Amino acid sequence: MLMTLIRRELLDNLMTFRFAAAVFITLLLVVANTIVLLKDYEQRLTAYNTATQESHEKIRAEKIYSDYLGKLVVHRPPNPLSIFNLGLDKQVGNKIEVYHAFVPTIWDAEKHGADNPFLNLFTSIDIVLVFQGVLSLLALIFAYDALAGERERGTLRLVLTHPIQRGYILFAKYISAMLCLLVPLSISLLLSIILLTTATTVALDTDDFLRIGGIVLTSLLYVSLFYLIGMCISAMTRRTSTALMLCMFVWGVLVLVYPNLILTAVDIVPQPNTQISAYNQIKQMWEEWDRKNKRLLRNDAVLGPLSQNGEGWGFRLKGGEYSFLRDEDKPSILLYFHQTGFYAGKIKAESEPHVPRVQDYYRFYNRETVNTVERAWLVRKPALEAIYVQPANLGQMLLKFSPTGLYDAATEAWAGTDLEGIQDFFGTVQRYRRAVVDYFYDKKIFESRQWFAADEGTADWEALPQFAFHRSDTSINAKRALPDMLLLLIMNVILFIVIMLIFIKSEV
Amino acid sequence: MWHITKREIYDNLNSLRFALTTILLLALMVTNAVKHLREQPKRVQTYRDAVTESSDRLTAHADGSLFKLSQYGPGNFYKKPSPLHFCANGGELILPDTIEVDEPPVFATDGEGNVTLQGVWSLSYPDANLQNKSVGPSVSQVDWAFIIGYILSLIALWFTFDAFSGEREHGTLRLMLANSIPRHTVLIGKFLGALLSISIPFALAVLVNLLLISTASTVHLTTDAWGRLGIIFALALLYTSLFVALGLLVSARVQQSAVSLMILLLTWVTLVVFMPSTLASIASSFSPATSFDEVWQQQNPSREDLWDKYDEWLWSGALDDKTLRGKSAFFTENAERWERKHEERLKYRSSQVDRARAITSISPATLLQHLIEGFAGTGFERHLQFVENTQRYARQLREFVADTDRADPESLHILGVREGISKKPISPESVPKFEDTFDLSRDFNTAAMELLLLTLFVLVLLSGAYLAFVRVEV
Repeated sequence: MLMTLIRRELLDNLMTFRFAAAVFITLLLVVANTIVLLKDYEQRLTAYNTATQESHEKIRAEKIYSDYLGKLVVHRPPNPLSIFNLGLDKQVGNKIEVYHAFVPTIWDAEKHGADNPFLNLFTSIDIVLVFQGVLSLLALIFAYDALAGERERGTLRLVLTHPIQRGYILFAKYISAMLCLLVPLSISLLLSIILLTTATTVALDTDDFLRIGGIVLTSLLYVSLFYLIGMCISAMTRRTSTALMLCMFVWGVLVLVYPNLILTAVDIVPQPNTQISAYNQIKQMWEEWDRKNKRLLRNDAVLGPLSQNGEGWGFRLKGGEYSFLRDEDKPSILLYFHQTGFYAGKIKAESEPHVPRVQDYYRFYNRETVNTVERAWLVRKPALEAIYVQPANLGQMLLKFSPTGLYDAATEAWAGTDLEGIQDFFGTVQRYRRAVVDYFYDKKIFESRQWFAADEGTADWEALPQFAFHRSDTSINAKRALPDMLLLLIMNVILFIVIMLIFIKSEV
Repeated sequence: MWHITKREIYDNLNSLRFALTTILLLALMVTNAVKHLREQPKRVQTYRDAVTESSDRLTAHADGSLFKLSQYGPGNFYKKPSPLHFCANGGELILPDTIEVDEPPVFATDGEGNVTLQGVWSLSYPDANLQNKSVGPSVSQVDWAFIIGYILSLIALWFTFDAFSGEREHGTLRLMLANSIPRHTVLIGKFLGALLSISIPFALAVLVNLLLISTASTVHLTTDAWGRLGIIFALALLYTSLFVALGLLVSARVQQSAVSLMILLLTWVTLVVFMPSTLASIASSFSPATSFDEVWQQQNPSREDLWDKYDEWLWSGALDDKTLRGKSAFFTENAERWERKHEERLKYRSSQVDRARAITSISPATLLQHLIEGFAGTGFERHLQFVENTQRYARQLREFVADTDRADPESLHILGVREGISKKPISPESVPKFEDTFDLSRDFNTAAMELLLLTLFVLVLLSGAYLAFVRVEV
């Protein structure tokens, strides 16, 4: 009996104009956007490859160790799944410096030179956005007359004269409509995956296909939720025109108005004191570091005069060519440090006796620097969380009151373009910095002659640990996406029960 | 005709959609006003503080001497916040609101750390805002541009999708056409009816919004601003009529109102939501993947090194005319090059943006967005205008220094070096002050093309609706 009902509903839906239009418009939008997004991805990949190559050469041109800020740079590769959900992939910086005097974070990252930041004025698009707008609309269009239409035509009465449970009728309608909606979803996804796999630049592995599977599953839950919303409205109203109108209103509110309105209305401002106090604390640590260094230099009979009692940059050894100051002071991201040093091409014999003292000093200086960074990081990390991550999470949470927010968050998590996915990369960079520092300790580079002089052997950048980044496992993506998917599922179930209750109690 | 219009309005006033529309628009407009009231005073205060600091610096420099003024220049420049910020946010988070005046670069110091060779100030244009480190979800702000562009257009379709198909379903269309009314009268009647019924809740919401904003003492709207608001309101009506015409066109062609609504909604989603983003993506993928610095190097391959060119004068401490002139020329040329590079970079980037803007103008939603931004004095055009204002002022200030120097017969008239410039004290009041202005007529000129395009869209759709309706069989 159920099969008969499903078949009837299926035929009813498939033979309509709306079905043809739904398939056509989804295909058109998804394919057109995939092509555009693919091009955009390839461009970002090219920029990434060029930049990586450039940095590779740049660091190797450096002869001494100390002057490597801005030269040891790692780049964030674009995520191929950003085609499905762009998330933060394009917005966040993709170039980050590795240096022992600060811990690299997402906020320290910059953009490649080829990027035009002004182009961020335009809204960006991804496949999930297309589904978000179009599939929800289609689901409502399929649903609005499911019950109200039959009631109007009188066929509902006819069906109910047969000995069928009302739940079966609902279920049959739901199943057949979902099957119909699956058609545009799967065909368009199939086409975009074909486009992706034919592009030589995009390398998708098994894990990526699993992730795409996760995105499809989330899309199904999302579509089903909207279908049930439409059905609920349909069950509650007497006339199809009213149902249609209400459906459109609900769609407009959930998809368009709510997400924008809520974030405009709720003013998410972190406590201003957090930033100021954390910044001052960090600054104090560095000032203490500075005093310590200067005290040491002032009290030293040899190094004092060589460094103008700590006021100059580096040491005035004969044969020194230039001295430098690396200085960062960005209160908004709590970045504060300074480092001085100098470069000597060939140290002359008369200065040679001072060299061991200078090396000794640099061992102290660099150790102090690394320790100060560690201490500052203990303050900086929670403060950055409070200033940036917590408001972002709060905003995300507010958006989740609408199914579109849940859908977006879950697919972002699957694609790995959400905040956590991006943070994975910066976590890897932080570990890489640690590895570089450890390498400097192990090989005694901080106190080596090559730290400042290029006469007895130059810096060996080949031996430095290499940076490698792999996206997190699918299981981790799944773990991040599951809570939101579960919420979507629960909403589905609740709505289905509500519809059931309304429909069973309603008179025909 | 008025009969039909009146009938339409009465019909609509009693409908559910009218009530829902009113609530929706009111909610959006009130949120918009509240947000503006919360943020505008802060924005104005920040601007005032920054300007005070900047003019203090200018005064301090002028107080010092003409040389100090010519060397350090003015303070940073700040973009004046538009009082109509609530109409269009205009990418506030992305566009920078300052143009920095770079400190004179130090070229050389002696053993004791004293500066021996120092250049003159130059302008540098900050990149799109890198201060914004937010990692939260990005959504569009609820400003008038959003409310009109997205919501009002959707409402227009909502009011018109069943204009003819609904009447046909009820059979009242046949009845109406049985009377001796020409079809175009029916069409125009319907058009005006729908437009007026949408205008009523919209006007109401706008009124509440403006009432909230204008009664607050912290935010002040000038006569000029009210004129601009009038224009934006008219734009909203023009834009709405575009979608009303579209609704009538589809409604006349399609038999069932449900199908009509579906077609309209899918068209709307494509036109308003997807087209701007997709087209912008296409436009930005046209732009080459080379960074500006590479382009700059290609354009200026054999750039003569300034250090070599002026080498013989830079290191001598002599005070003769030739050395001073050499140094002066070095400083000026250095600052000019620096400034030109920044300017070219801005031009390079804004030409990409302009191209993307031109391509996205195919979508009426983007057209409206640009128009509202133009009249509200926010957005990209406004930013370029700010840059232009700054450049004009920089020229003016440099001319002022040259003129003041020329008026002093004792001076050697060599700018940029202490020994060559007039030593007479100058009064800070006589130094020109920077003021960031924006005038309506100029905005109108830049908007004319887009306005024309929008009107053209409306006319085409209206005549389409007319043709469709005339030929339709009842």
